[in-house]
Amino acid sequence: MPGHIPPANPFDDNLLQHGLEDSGIGTCDLNLATRELALSPTACKLFGLSPDESIDYTRFLSLLEPEDRERTERGIERSIADGTNFDIQYRIATPHGATHWLRTRSAVVKGQNGAVHLSGIVIDIEEQKQLEAALRVREGHLRSILETIPDAMIVIDGRGIMQFFSKAAVRQFGYSESEAIGKNVSMLMPNPDSARHDSYLERYRATGERRIIGVGRIVSGKRKDGTIFPMHLSIGEMQTEGEPYFTGFVRDLTEYQQTQARMQELQSELVHVSRLTAMGEMASALAHELNQPLAAISNYLKGSRRLLASDTEENRAKIESAMDRAAEQAIRAGQIIRRLRDFVSRGESEKRVEKASKLIEEAGALGLTGAREQGVSLHFNLDPDHDLVLVDRVQIQQVLVNLFRNALDAMTESAQRIMIVTSSRAAGDMIEIAVSDTGHGIGKEHQARMFQTFFTTKKTGMGVGLSISKTIIEAHGGRMWTEDNPAGGATFRFTLPAAPSEGLTDAG
Amino acid sequence: MPAEGLVYVIDDDPAMRDSLDFLLESAGLKARLFESAVSFLDALPELGPGCIVSDVRMPDLDGLELLRRLRETNKSLPIIIMTGHGDIPLAVEAMKLGAIDFIEKPFEDDRLIGTITTALSGVAQRHKGDAVAADIASRIASLSQRERQVLDGLVAGLSNKLIARDYDISPRTIEVYRANVMTKMQASSISELVRFAIRGGLLKD
Repeated sequence: MPGHIPPANPFDDNLLQHGLEDSGIGTCDLNLATRELALSPTACKLFGLSPDESIDYTRFLSLLEPEDRERTERGIERSIADGTNFDIQYRIATPHGATHWLRTRSAVVKGQNGAVHLSGIVIDIEEQKQLEAALRVREGHLRSILETIPDAMIVIDGRGIMQFFSKAAVRQFGYSESEAIGKNVSMLMPNPDSARHDSYLERYRATGERRIIGVGRIVSGKRKDGTIFPMHLSIGEMQTEGEPYFTGFVRDLTEYQQTQARMQELQSELVHVSRLTAMGEMASALAHELNQPLAAISNYLKGSRRLLASDTEENRAKIESAMDRAAEQAIRAGQIIRRLRDFVSRGESEKRVEKASKLIEEAGALGLTGAREQGVSLHFNLDPDHDLVLVDRVQIQQVLVNLFRNALDAMTESAQRIMIVTSSRAAGDMIEIAVSDTGHGIGKEHQARMFQTFFTTKKTGMGVGLSISKTIIEAHGGRMWTEDNPAGGATFRFTLPAAPSEGLTDAG
Repeated sequence: MPAEGLVYVIDDDPAMRDSLDFLLESAGLKARLFESAVSFLDALPELGPGCIVSDVRMPDLDGLELLRRLRETNKSLPIIIMTGHGDIPLAVEAMKLGAIDFIEKPFEDDRLIGTITTALSGVAQRHKGDAVAADIASRIASLSQRERQVLDGLVAGLSNKLIARDYDISPRTIEVYRANVMTKMQASSISELVRFAIRGGLLKD
């Protein structure tokens, strides 16, 4: 049996004993041969015994809370067997029925007479245990709160390494907590963000310039299975012991987007129906109204034709007068058509200074879902120096989403699938945005009709998107046109009025 | 060879009245113009024989109401109704109410003047039971059941789409039946088809 001979003692054992006793540390000693247990007065007090009560090992075990008895005994036996130190926490049942936490640490030592003892100290750890319990309760609360938040919560350190990955994050991204924690958060993003995220962090550390922190944006996320989904990301920053940590809240917009898509579908159906109704009503009202001058013109001309057959001088004046009246009716018909035009081009929108790059990015998060899964490679060549436009954000995003979806649709059967979005300065203080694809192109025969209402080359299209888009762009003072690419595919271009970057501040 | 009687033109549009007056005069017909059905009805007791050419859509009292009012009087003037293009249900309704014919604006002068001349000479009243009507009835009889359903739909002023829905067949199929109906009925336009159908006795109140 292993054991230690105590080294030569530089202390006065008596003094030391007093010091320990007075500071609430009891000492205990178990003679392994006799199983006799010696307890100091403080130890007796801690065990709920009278100061000089003698106690053997069996009695000691009986004092323990039944649940802790076996575990404690096993610990002691192991120490005896292996000669290892003994450190165990257990509860003592007090005479009042309550329990009390104690901790005993002891070592196997050889006495002077060669007897082997298990000797050590007993301390009260009730307060510590209560604190631990309170802490556990609080942590449990916090955890349950975090787990009930539908938004995923991810904490990363200053290098982008994930430190916390909530249940909702597991649900949203498909990675388990253990698969995520310790890894770089860039695995949750598609390219180009994935490749650049480390540099985003570095840039923030270097410049302190906040691009997303505290703002919240719509970006794309990547699940474990590789699928991309639109998400709203808001990030908060905290400093813990000098180290920066970033907490990201992620809301999956897939469902929201599906709802939006459905709403847009319904809305465009509504637009379709209401336009049809309005146009139907207008068409019948106009047909009747236009018929009047047309019938009158026809009558004047037919009558004149009859009079010409009987060629007399007195008819000449009548015919001349009828011609004048016919011409007046033609002008009346023209005015009716002008009224129709005014009706169609009516409508005001809310314009603000917006970043084209941001409009494109947000429209991309909504309109380009599933693009990468389709094997479409996306390129953005945006001119940062000519970025500000004066537009109605929602309307222009509608146009962009529409163009993006069209481009994707056009490429479903292409071998090569590349979509390029560019922005650049255009003449007349405009900014031109181009969306080009490698799809089936438009073809000369459709080129002219591409923007007509109800014209479509799609099997299930309604032919409303582009005509509305064009109306929107023109209402912004821009132009929209299209061309086939020399190498195949189509490019849709539109211009928007550039917003002056200076002169917008209130300064001066 | 001008026919007997005046042409009473009723239209709320001054240009229509004026141009009709001009056209009728060029054909040797004499017209009297009324700007509303109300003013025509006011003048009716003192009016001599003639023929009415009236617009169907008018404020206050429209062409159909005029037909109903005329039924209640003992004056039986033949009446031709002017409709807008494709206003088939209105035209059918007008025929049911006793109009002798309908013409669509803008109209062929020959057809308008021909119809007016016929009306003034009193031939229109004898239309039913004449050889033409019997011929048209035999054309209607030659239609298949489906073609007859399509004809009924067209005369009721329904679109191809609506007829297709009623019989649960595709609009494309309806187009084919419609073409067959036009051929068998020897009609060159939808309004002619409706006119034939009416003359063939297809319309029952």
